[in-house]
Amino acid sequence: MFENILTNPVIAVILTILVCFIISTFLPGIERKYVHARIQQRIGPIVIAPGIMAPLKFIFKENIEVSSPVPGLYKALPIICFIVVLCVLIALTPEAYKIPALASLVSIVGFLKVEEICYVLMGALSKSIMSVRMPFPDKIKGAVHNNSNLSFIEDISARRSLRMITYGSFPLYLALFAPVTAARSIFLGDIVAYQQTHGPFLFTIAGGIAAVVFFIGYMIILNEYPFSIIKAKSDVIEGPYMEYAAKYRAVVVITRGFFMFVLGAVFSVLFIGVPPTIFSWGILINIAVALIFVVMMGIFSAFAPVFTNRQLLPTILATTLLGILAIVIGLL
Amino acid sequence: MEGLPVEKANALTEKICGICSNSHIWNSCRTAELGLGIEITPRALYIRVIMGELERLHSHFLYLAHGCEVLSHETFSMRVFYLREIVMELLAMIGGNRVQYGCSVLGGVRPRCDLDEAKLLRLKNDMNALEEGLNGFVERFLADSIVMSRISGIGVLPQKQAIELAVTGPTLRATGVARDLRTTMFEYDEFDFNVITQNDGDVKSNLIMRALESFESIKIIKQAIANIPEGKVVNRDWEMVDTDIIESYIEVPRGTLYHSYALESGRVRHCIIRTPSMANIGAMQYACIGDQITDAQLCIVQCDPCFTCTDRAIEIIRR
Repeated sequence: MFENILTNPVIAVILTILVCFIISTFLPGIERKYVHARIQQRIGPIVIAPGIMAPLKFIFKENIEVSSPVPGLYKALPIICFIVVLCVLIALTPEAYKIPALASLVSIVGFLKVEEICYVLMGALSKSIMSVRMPFPDKIKGAVHNNSNLSFIEDISARRSLRMITYGSFPLYLALFAPVTAARSIFLGDIVAYQQTHGPFLFTIAGGIAAVVFFIGYMIILNEYPFSIIKAKSDVIEGPYMEYAAKYRAVVVITRGFFMFVLGAVFSVLFIGVPPTIFSWGILINIAVALIFVVMMGIFSAFAPVFTNRQLLPTILATTLLGILAIVIGLL
Repeated sequence: MEGLPVEKANALTEKICGICSNSHIWNSCRTAELGLGIEITPRALYIRVIMGELERLHSHFLYLAHGCEVLSHETFSMRVFYLREIVMELLAMIGGNRVQYGCSVLGGVRPRCDLDEAKLLRLKNDMNALEEGLNGFVERFLADSIVMSRISGIGVLPQKQAIELAVTGPTLRATGVARDLRTTMFEYDEFDFNVITQNDGDVKSNLIMRALESFESIKIIKQAIANIPEGKVVNRDWEMVDTDIIESYIEVPRGTLYHSYALESGRVRHCIIRTPSMANIGAMQYACIGDQITDAQLCIVQCDPCFTCTDRAIEIIRR
């Protein structure tokens, strides 16, 4: 009876998601406490603070009515993001390989694109009063900003998100398709099976290059420093997230940690050939990869200022060329 | 300020700003001393210079750390804050507080701010440590090509514009104008230091400017430690008289600080104080032009505005 329950694919997927989710809540804390704080020679927060205590605190906070032209959609966006990330994880589990339409690179790319589009919508729909720029004419003697138009900082975030969708995250998608050149299939089941026979794609020349590209894309899609231009933190406020409070902010925080883990799992599947499932010790590899990525991201972000377009464009161009190189080498 | 006894008024000026509190009480006392012809003891002059330069160090380090923080480079920011911590502890050692030290009084400095051998030794050791730490930071900072790419050519304030706006202090010197009131202040007559200038007037020039000026401040403090005269720290031998309006300009961390008032029966009349931020804040809107919104905060920080120094400003409309 108990064995039957465990072998039920739905139960297996739920248990895997649960384990992955619990581990993901520690990742933001590990990044802040053991990487950033260590590098910056400070104590840092307790490890459960950013990923567990912060969302719990937000859940019990009183909510505010958001300033948005479409408040319903705006409030739904973090939940959509979470569901999208969840779908990516489900697609990665071996149980999903029986549904080729779900467990394929096309669906993974589609889900990630939806997640990215959510940022555009968040930015476009957030109209925080704190982000209003120049609501009145600058009347000071000698003013040089007369007749300025009313605008919102979040609009800029939306435009930046759009830019990031069009070319910013391109390297990540190139890296996702690099393993296809070896496995000659876009289905995750085939990619995993190929690597279990021929060894991890990571340990090939094309795989090594693609892994570097994937890592940069991982930082870009997570909006981590130095690629955090979407969050617009340098612009004093946090862009698209500005209006989220209480439980909606909690979902934003939880989704970020979960996304960190899921992207690590994507790498494990595509570059090592180890899918996340609690019925295999391979899940330890998934966890290790997620941790390594978080630590590496923490190190890189601690030593880099936020990029503006001047730095972003050359970085993305160079990474894209690397991604193309990986694919070309993989095809040869 | 108006109508307060001058001693109380001096103490009150310190509350104008939390960053350059020492500068305010120093210049306020200096104003009365100039008007009343009070001779300050040589030892007190040295201690005032030490306090002034320590305050410059903590202001410049705050600028550097804040600049790095606005760049979202938390690691650099934290490193500068650690260096600044050495200075804050030294200020607390001399003044008793990390801010609002109450060091200067009419005729010198408070006796509790006198420097004994142990304090001088700690100052000397900490200045060496600070110099080493700052050297390491500056080398690392300048070698970081990404940081340099982020700050070069951003927030440019042309020299002509800076002069027109009467910008002062390091923000002016970063545009290439070698104007530093310390070269004309009698307190600095016995000290050897260079007036640092940069040419571009951008964020990079301003950050480098502060870093290089910090080395000069360390140099001045080291000279003061080595040559501090013996003797009293305060001259109580003076008499209160009525004066016309007295004016005093000094070079504080962010530029020229102006204090002026008249004395009437020992009370302050017609008091005017102009902080450097009042002059520098106008440069912000010019520094921002042509840059992206992400750089706006950087351009504002570049002009080194102190909002506590400006939030009590009054506009005089001449009809």
